[in-house]
Amino acid sequence: MFVAIVPAYNEGRTIERVVKELLSCVDSVIVVDDGSTDATAQKAKQAGAVVLSHKINRGQGAALETGHEYARKIGADYVLHFDADLQFDIQDIVPAFHALQESKADILVGSRYLDNRSNIPFTKRYILSPISRVVDFLFGGLKLTDAHNGFRILSKRALRSIVITHEGMAHATEIPRLVKKNKLTYIEFPVKVTYHEYGQNLFGGINVVKDLILGFFLHK
Amino acid sequence: MLIVFKLLFIVFSLYNIFGIFQRKKGGSLGLLGALFWSFFWCAVIVVVLWPTTVQMLADTFGIGRGSDFVLYISVALLFFLLFRLHIKIENMNKNITKIVRRDSLQEKS
Repeated sequence: MFVAIVPAYNEGRTIERVVKELLSCVDSVIVVDDGSTDATAQKAKQAGAVVLSHKINRGQGAALETGHEYARKIGADYVLHFDADLQFDIQDIVPAFHALQESKADILVGSRYLDNRSNIPFTKRYILSPISRVVDFLFGGLKLTDAHNGFRILSKRALRSIVITHEGMAHATEIPRLVKKNKLTYIEFPVKVTYHEYGQNLFGGINVVKDLILGFFLHK
Repeated sequence: MLIVFKLLFIVFSLYNIFGIFQRKKGGSLGLLGALFWSFFWCAVIVVVLWPTTVQMLADTFGIGRGSDFVLYISVALLFFLLFRLHIKIENMNKNITKIVRRDSLQEKS
């Protein structure tokens, strides 16, 4: 069973379309409504998704792990991480899934830097991404071209081993760290990212570093 | 006037030490925490009664003035406490997430 996990916070404008499109590529769509104040949950349900509702907003990492727990419970074989804001291209899912199956790797990580289809903002491509690559390597330990890409496909083995503890955006660095720690194999795959808004800025990046450092001192 | 201040500081420190014992007895403070804070407030009493001890310590650490030594120690202590507070809040956040997650999964089953 191939399951898509979509963390969503106030994505009522796009969630219906995302769920419907995803259902053409995967067996089931789990939308984790992360304390939205709009109609995200209702619209996702109407579109055919299984909706898990966080009563209060806990962050993208927390929402993904809630989806993971549910996916483990229903015995999912593969899990797709997909954003709710239409920044990813549905057309990438099937080729990525085939690439993962053919490679026999445990996890596929999307990258917007492996081809030229994404309209990446200049400052993001040439300033923030190089810095984030260094930070990701230092904290994550894997040399990825785009660790902070939300498009991933996890095999059953990866789903079992990757338990996300970072609630916010630091989960994107934690996942490669867990891949390395659990000796999982990985591949990168080019995906298209369409920017509807700038996304994570420098302050977001600083917050990620702060969360990663604090994470070392927290009870797991 | 100086005697009044000294007395106030000593009474305040003794009150805090009493509070530490109460909290230790009630279980809201661990042994290490109780020892640390008891030592801290005892040190305050020593400094209030014999201010020259601070100068002696400052000389030992190569810091010119006793008041500078107190300031450095205070800043370091405040940073340490702030850090601990931060960790505590983050751990609480994690526990809240666990409850929220359990609740959302239970609703589904």
